[in-house]
Amino acid sequence: MASTRHVPFRLLKAGRHALRTRQYSSARVSDDCDIVIVGGGPAGLALASALGSSAASNRLRIVLVEGGDLSKVHGWSLDSDVYSNRVSSLTNASQSFLRDIGAWSHVEESRTCPMEDMEVWDGVSDARISFHASDVPTTGSTEGQQMARLTENLNLQRGLLRHLKTHPEIELIDKTKVESIIRDEEEGQWPLVKLANDRILRTRLLIGADGFNSPVRSYARIPSYGWSYNTQAIVATMFHSPPSLYQNSLHTTAYQRFLPTGPIAFLPLSPTASSLVWSINPPELAQALVASASQNPSVLASMINAAFRLPTVSLKYLYDVVMDARTKGVAIDGEAITKEIRWREESHGIDGNSTYASSSTQLSQGMPSLDAASLPPLVTSIQPGTVASFPLKYNHAETYLGEGLGARTVLVGDAAHTVHPLAGQGLNQGLADVECLSKCIAEAVANGGDVGSYTALLPYAQERYIANHTIMSAVDKLHKLYSTEFEPVVWARSVGLEVLNELDVVKSAIMATAGAHSSKTTNSADAAAGINNGWSVVAKGFESYASTVKAARMASQGAVGLIGGGLEGIGRIITNLSK
Amino acid sequence: MQSILRNYIRRHATAATRQNSSVNASEISFFSKLSSQWWDEHGEFAFLHRMNPIRMQFIHEKVREMDWEDGATSEEKISRRSALDGLKVLDIGCGGGLLSESLARQGARTLGIDASEANIAIATLHSQADPNFRVSSASPSPSNLSYRQISAESLLAESGPEQYDVVCSMEVLEHVDNPADFLNSCAQLVKPGGHLFLSTIARTPLAYFLTIFTAETLLRKVTPGTHTYSKFVNPGELVEYFQNYPTSLTSKATTTEAEVRGMIYAPLRAKWHLASRTASLWGGDLVNGCNYLFWVRKPNVSPSQ
Repeated sequence: MASTRHVPFRLLKAGRHALRTRQYSSARVSDDCDIVIVGGGPAGLALASALGSSAASNRLRIVLVEGGDLSKVHGWSLDSDVYSNRVSSLTNASQSFLRDIGAWSHVEESRTCPMEDMEVWDGVSDARISFHASDVPTTGSTEGQQMARLTENLNLQRGLLRHLKTHPEIELIDKTKVESIIRDEEEGQWPLVKLANDRILRTRLLIGADGFNSPVRSYARIPSYGWSYNTQAIVATMFHSPPSLYQNSLHTTAYQRFLPTGPIAFLPLSPTASSLVWSINPPELAQALVASASQNPSVLASMINAAFRLPTVSLKYLYDVVMDARTKGVAIDGEAITKEIRWREESHGIDGNSTYASSSTQLSQGMPSLDAASLPPLVTSIQPGTVASFPLKYNHAETYLGEGLGARTVLVGDAAHTVHPLAGQGLNQGLADVECLSKCIAEAVANGGDVGSYTALLPYAQERYIANHTIMSAVDKLHKLYSTEFEPVVWARSVGLEVLNELDVVKSAIMATAGAHSSKTTNSADAAAGINNGWSVVAKGFESYASTVKAARMASQGAVGLIGGGLEGIGRIITNLSK
Repeated sequence: MQSILRNYIRRHATAATRQNSSVNASEISFFSKLSSQWWDEHGEFAFLHRMNPIRMQFIHEKVREMDWEDGATSEEKISRRSALDGLKVLDIGCGGGLLSESLARQGARTLGIDASEANIAIATLHSQADPNFRVSSASPSPSNLSYRQISAESLLAESGPEQYDVVCSMEVLEHVDNPADFLNSCAQLVKPGGHLFLSTIARTPLAYFLTIFTAETLLRKVTPGTHTYSKFVNPGELVEYFQNYPTSLTSKATTTEAEVRGMIYAPLRAKWHLASRTASLWGGDLVNGCNYLFWVRKPNVSPSQ
């Protein structure tokens, strides 16, 4: 074993191969495995890492299969001042899990950034809520005062791969696609995974960490339900000036503004770089912005600055300009956009020297204004090649465990659930799945159980399905609440008081998940209960929001004079929201 | 699957003799009919599948605990991957092999026996699909799991007493005709210092309500006729039986150690829980009033004690 230790992503050793192979009637040869993980994304790699560091790996033969080239991820390297465009906010719970399995020490921590403060406000009413890491109940001392840690996905994946190198007993097969998955009809109906290199893996347990279009999920015949949000998210790495000497010397504040077209988020990576996640409905607008950025990156920078500052009515006009250029197929004049923005600021009465002046020429020179911390720094440029967009979906598998003909299968991460990124929960949910599943597997091994059996995996499904469903429906409701164009709801949202209520919901959502648990003192069930409690606060928040809106509607019936149809409409919407 | 199974049973069907005192012929034919369902985790035996981890937990805990009490500080015992590693274990009334497979995965050299040939066929067939137990020409070591269609009495007659480090008989006692004879055979097969593990159902109104009325009659989760109330055995009766166990077998005994632990089913979590050791102090009758595990250790005759 020691001789293969330095060989990355080695293929199966010949000796072992001969020992474990068996002949099939059709003269094919298959390898016997205990666990085959399909997918080398963050969830699959984290699962392999977790299993590698548990005692279970001594008794199980574990193989991970990935179609892409993992050596690229392993060799990933960027200069210290540039960043990858896919960034996740890892909650304290996710970090302590990664620490426990020994993977976090392989993540380049200097490339990550703690999120210590968060500013969230409504684009229509400007109702705002600020919160700080000190509000988060932390139990672990190592986490310090942070709500989450912004980490490039590639930094995490590379760290997991580095960690896996210290566990050579886990076999990684990369650059090899799964060609098909069939049942072993001859014996026991175990899954047979046929690889593109003609190898066949016969496995006790098949784990689908294979993303939204999961082949494992299709093999297991697990239906999933969901919808597309008719929204695209734009991501990019943004550069800006460092915070002035008079401000906090480190840029550790995240900003999120809820616009009628969707939330726009500004996530800190370093004093001079941040990550953008901008969800936009309709998707055509997102595409038009991406297209404009490819012609002239300064247009996107101006649009981002405006999106955090201008009233929505002016933003609508700017969107029209961008869309118009797209349909006409002409490039947008960066100068003209800057001029337009300046003119609009003036007409909204925004002083040229105020924080709200996006076209301000003054860049953190001298004394910043008092409200400087309430808005993100002005974007000066976009890191070339980082602008990308992808459609947003909601999807949840009906179950995480295959049964009957699809027995001996289990889903984790995006294969099980896809969620709107507005609360930054997708990857954290996947890591929580992985933590729970690896514990289930370890427990089954300790009791001599069959790790592929339904009975051994049932606790995973019970714990994670409910936890994920609670988070997903809360995030989904949040999205719908903010993205609806339905007049009475927009009106209700524009009434400051109610909006504050719902921002409390956003707050508890973030607090609930950021609420660190130190896995040394808390067992997973308690942690799950904590998360559940947090998210049920979110759910309750929606109920109370719905009733507040109803009350407000009743009170203002005479004054606003909504017509009957409108009233029924709002009732329907509210009922849907609070469902 | 079904046709493979039928062929298998036909091929392996042998005329078996059944003149043993404790084996109940109608019980055997009853379970033979159900045998194909042993490994359906959603079916008839779902409760047993879910009970298996806590049975294993109990066996593991007790064997390890006794290892420590015996002063097992030797490297050999500590470095073993499980307390059962290398032990010779007999599973009496193994059924489809639910417990036997788990014991063997823990490293125990396991023999599963059952009076029903259909059960033995199912157990063998199931283990052959699993690389952990498959006997193949490519594998250098023989499997540490084997099955035989034989009764406890016949095995005792054939191999003689004091053969096994651990003897288990789970959910069997309530199905035999002559419990005292059966327990005697079980006890004789245990080596001195070895362990006997039993699980059964207490003869209480609660047990009747849960196992017969609710599970069989009301919910039909378990085939009616599976259990017979009069055959249920109370924990006190087991303890008493072993307290009065003939001294000839436990000659140099000082005391006989025994423990009863209740198993509680939580329907919402669909999970069995092992009652805590102190549970009997506050609610023993309730906790041990239905399904329970029983452990007794054969006194060690070795003078070093």
